[in-house]
Amino acid sequence: MAISAATKAATDALAVNRAPVSVGAQEVHRWLQSFTWDFDKNRTKYSTKYHMANDTKEQFKLIAKEYARMESVKDERQFGSLQDVLTRVDAANRVHPKWNESMKVISNFLEVGEYNAIAATGMLWDSATAPEQKNGYLGQVLDEIRHTNQCGYINYYFAKQGQDAAGHNDARRTRAIGPLWKGMKRVFSDGFISGDAVECSINLQLVGEACFTNPLIVAVTEWASANGDEMTPTVFLSIETDELRHMANGYQTVVSIANDEAASKYLNTDLNNAFWTQQKYFTPVLGMMFEYGSHFKVEPWVKTWNRWVYEDWGGIWIGRLGKYGVESPASLRDAKKDAYWAHHDLFLIAYALWPTGFFRLTLPTAEEAEWYEANYPGWYDMYGKVYEEWRARGCEDPNSGFLPLQWFIENNHPIYIDRVSQVPFCPSYSKGASTLRVLEFNGKKHSFSDQWGERMWLSEPERYECQNIFEQYEGRELSEVIAEGHGVRSDGKTLIAQPHTSKDGKLWTLDDIKKIGCVFADPLKSL
Amino acid sequence: MSIVVSGGRRGLTDPEISKVILAAIPDKPLETQRKMNYFMTPRGKRINEYETLCCYTQPTPDWIPGGLDWGDWTQKFHGGRPSWSNESTEMHSSDWHRHRDPAFRWHALYVKDKAEEWRYTDRFLKAYSADGHVRSIDPVWRDEVLGDYLGAFGFSEYGLFNSHSSATRDCLGDTLRMSIAMIGLDKVDNAQMIQAERTFLAKLVPGFDESTDVPKNEWTQGSIYKGARETVEEIWQGTYDWNEILFAGHMIYDPLFGQFVRREFFLRLSSYYGDNLTPFFINQMQLYHSQTKGVTKDMFHTCLAVDENFGDYNVSLMNMWSDKWLPRTVNALKDFMGIFSKIPTIAGVSDKAAIEAALGRVFDDWQRDYADPIGYKVDTAALIKTVLSGLK
Ligand SMILES: [Fe+2]
Ligand SMILES: [Fe+2]
Repeated sequence: MAISAATKAATDALAVNRAPVSVGAQEVHRWLQSFTWDFDKNRTKYSTKYHMANDTKEQFKLIAKEYARMESVKDERQFGSLQDVLTRVDAANRVHPKWNESMKVISNFLEVGEYNAIAATGMLWDSATAPEQKNGYLGQVLDEIRHTNQCGYINYYFAKQGQDAAGHNDARRTRAIGPLWKGMKRVFSDGFISGDAVECSINLQLVGEACFTNPLIVAVTEWASANGDEMTPTVFLSIETDELRHMANGYQTVVSIANDEAASKYLNTDLNNAFWTQQKYFTPVLGMMFEYGSHFKVEPWVKTWNRWVYEDWGGIWIGRLGKYGVESPASLRDAKKDAYWAHHDLFLIAYALWPTGFFRLTLPTAEEAEWYEANYPGWYDMYGKVYEEWRARGCEDPNSGFLPLQWFIENNHPIYIDRVSQVPFCPSYSKGASTLRVLEFNGKKHSFSDQWGERMWLSEPERYECQNIFEQYEGRELSEVIAEGHGVRSDGKTLIAQPHTSKDGKLWTLDDIKKIGCVFADPLKSL
Repeated sequence: MSIVVSGGRRGLTDPEISKVILAAIPDKPLETQRKMNYFMTPRGKRINEYETLCCYTQPTPDWIPGGLDWGDWTQKFHGGRPSWSNESTEMHSSDWHRHRDPAFRWHALYVKDKAEEWRYTDRFLKAYSADGHVRSIDPVWRDEVLGDYLGAFGFSEYGLFNSHSSATRDCLGDTLRMSIAMIGLDKVDNAQMIQAERTFLAKLVPGFDESTDVPKNEWTQGSIYKGARETVEEIWQGTYDWNEILFAGHMIYDPLFGQFVRREFFLRLSSYYGDNLTPFFINQMQLYHSQTKGVTKDMFHTCLAVDENFGDYNVSLMNMWSDKWLPRTVNALKDFMGIFSKIPTIAGVSDKAAIEAALGRVFDDWQRDYADPIGYKVDTAALIKTVLSGLK
């Protein structure tokens, strides 16, 4: 249309219609796919063996401002609840002490996952070629900043208002001392950001989010509220509302590479590795946090696991991707076995190493022992009686001079660390499927606890060189390591970590640990 | 009571459960230090909420300066390249956790502002259309300048937006990563606002072409944005060092080219062509520009340039990067001068003297705010002369 005619038409139109008009997000998003252009260097900075299709679309069709509007509405509700009614009813002081301790770990470790997901989705934003796909990942970049801040807010809130601030107030500094940290970094940090970009997406979105987000973020809210904690559901359920988009991003990643020849060659191997990587840590750690980190029990972990990991994810979610050639991971069956005993094995070790934590742990009570035995027949003979022995030897009492770690040494049950997952295991005292494998490479010994990790290491040992805590601390005395890692409270001597949550129990100090004279040794050296 | 809780019973409200919980809670809190992150050095007198929620969220080992963790990465790239590494940038820092957004925006504050801007945009557009404002826009300005050249400028913003992806992945600090993602989102917001304006015009003006075809053609094939496009492509995809990407985009290209195009061309001229719509959007972009300026000046001037160990080195590197990116940006502006032959000249507004004055404002601002703080010597008069040689 000629310019003058258009102006006249506009004027005429306005003469009869002055209805207010605006522009909706979808009307802008409609053009997004055309925002990019071709040029020589237009390629990703992160190599991937897959090609992500140029015309990949996204489902959620957000633009920057609409994204912000949506999130800020959710923020108002969430922070409103926290700052208003929950504070007025003193909710942080109505949480069971055991759960108060669990949230030190859960919220802080999840924060690490959220934080690394910012970088991970930054990488995917770079790797995707289609603007819509980039936009989906971009939304997630911002979400993961949100979740990082939200997880931090939980610890911030508990520190400010709760019954034991230590650990909530400095988890970011003290978390690196203990045996759970490095494994957490494998699944929540490096597994998301270091590797083939699509492999990272599979780790983060297809497994981390689509598989473990439900048990992690949804189940945790049920355990929390049973144990008096309404802060965590308020925040975590708000996080969960963003996760749907992230799972969709994972789905779209697969769709975008489905027609690529590389997918038929590598996708199922990458998925299997990613699944094993994630489950190797989450299966035992989540189970342990829920069952051993609570007073009131919601349901046995193995049931939760079967429902969400095995049936929902392994069956329905992966089934939906079947048309793109995706198969249920071969390691799923081994993982199912882990879901029964692995968390019990891990708690035995975690409790034995309690002084290296940034939280207080609690031995199972008599009624808990009953619950364990009822749900995991055989539990008492393997674990229950060991806890009884530890308790009888005074493991909770600073004057006893007894650390459960000594029990492992006395009984010749060395604790090793799996090089690939960094998860500790005790091959001679476990009911889970761990078996010790030791390989030597470049003059260094490496221990492994399962075939899947061993295979990953065998094909690419240069990706898994990280030293473990026993190598790092070898020859050093325990109280020294704790002091160096800032594992003490504000009085400068009482440990943040404690082997009980009893309100009448005595608290251990650095001196109590020092008296015992516990020196770290690297078990691989004595092989 | 039994320790098994079913049916969604909640410990906070269920009397039986809460009795057990309250009995287990210590009589007085076990720890008196209630300040999260109490160990950190705040920017101001006290640790603020932004610092509490953002600082040290990144788990980097101490061999990346400022990190609180120890040891190696637990998984690396194929071939063994580390997750994050000091080699990802030529800049050096004694502590990569030092940066602060001067506005202390954590996520909730950032989206709250943008959400308000969106709601207000919606109300503004409704009032603008109901008021019949659109009749006053000069048709050449509307159809050619806004339709084509503002549309084409959207690609500059979109390309800069994408330059933040690898910087978001690779940078070495938590407050850095969050700031980079946020200033990146502002850039795609700019590109989307430009499209929103064009779509809005298409709703009011029958026949106005909202499609991106013509602007994209102008951006990729035309002469007016040739220098800009080549520079943006190089920032986005030709550069790997995340600090150089940020420096080139936010310390050179955008404060010169972006500022001239947005502020001195579209914003300043629009009212002369009866256009009160474009300023509404450009002013939002200018707000983002000033917030971003605060962020990136903090990164480069407040932190890196005065680093106790590497300040001198960093400043000399910033000077080298200025040498590299300034000529390209000047060239982009020179090409952009071609746009003045597309609009009817208004004496004192879009004639050569007025353009020179506009360039003077932009280059003066840049010299004062970006070049002087790093001691970068620049002859702005000569640069302006080069730019003006692009006038047809
Ligand atoms: Fe998240
Ligand atoms: Fe997520």
